[in-house]
Amino acid sequence: METSDKGLTVERAYDDLLRRSLASISGDLAKLIYLASTRDYNTGKYHHDGLAARFKTDIACQALEQAHRQIFYRIAGRSLEELVGEVDLYVNSSRQNRDEVIQVWQKLEPYRVALPVNVDVVVARLFVSNVKLALAILRKRLGRQEIRALAS
Amino acid sequence: MIGSLGLLVGVFLLLILMAVATKGWMGARQLQEPPSGPIEGEVTEPCPKEFVSMVFSRSDWEFVHGLKSRGVERLFEQERKKVALVWIRQTSALVRKAVSEHAFAARQSKNLDFLKEINILAQFLILITSCWILTIAIQTAGPVWLSGLASYAQRLSQQVSNLQGAFQAGVLANANEKGAM
Repeated sequence: METSDKGLTVERAYDDLLRRSLASISGDLAKLIYLASTRDYNTGKYHHDGLAARFKTDIACQALEQAHRQIFYRIAGRSLEELVGEVDLYVNSSRQNRDEVIQVWQKLEPYRVALPVNVDVVVARLFVSNVKLALAILRKRLGRQEIRALAS
Repeated sequence: MIGSLGLLVGVFLLLILMAVATKGWMGARQLQEPPSGPIEGEVTEPCPKEFVSMVFSRSDWEFVHGLKSRGVERLFEQERKKVALVWIRQTSALVRKAVSEHAFAARQSKNLDFLKEINILAQFLILITSCWILTIAIQTAGPVWLSGLASYAQRLSQQVSNLQGAFQAGVLANANEKGAM
């Protein structure tokens, strides 16, 4: 009984998270990065002040973990073409120079840190691999656009 | 006499050369397949089949090919090969794990069905050989170039699930049998 009550509360916290914090973020990749950023690097626990204030800290942690995992599997299941669109949207939403963001992402590979724990190793590898490809494709497109701009 | 001695020395040198080449190739293979780092934990269940078909599907390749960039095409081939090899390693690990769990349970059981055990051994050998053949095929041609490999990979994945299920049922039956005694 207590477990099912806890489950319902986690579901409510999860819905709250979707409606408030995540609804204002455009694109699944940005949502994934945001959710990964709520996780402590040392403990692996998720924390969100607003959610923890409305629910309990452990409930908020579970809701964040659930959302992180769901967004991850959703984005990992996208085709390469769709993922290129996602990465493009993310890069465009940044205030930094597009080329600079792509270059830094290619060098530092920050998307590796965005993986939830205990996800399937093949899915994780496929996601990392597809983001790497998406970045290479965007860089290529950017290069072509620059050449066209110089030519005209 | 000198001719046959020369032949023997030649064969001996060739064997040494082959051994060195094989060792080098194995070492290179290990370097080509870096561990997936912190994300590679203990494998407990097979990869969801929709993701397996994504690894072997040609639709992403067609998109990449349409971009007309040889560099991106090469990167795609390398990356998909790596992911496919991770899947093979995961599948082999699952098969080995299922068999070792079954072997452990079988050692405790007092009334083993010989035919059933032979059948399990045959299934294990088929699956491990399939993984081995797939590894060579992927390394040689790449996952997206082998027609029918996706469906074969799917079936293999399903077989591993079935094998796990069958072994778990066997383990449970053995445990009940032991508990009843």
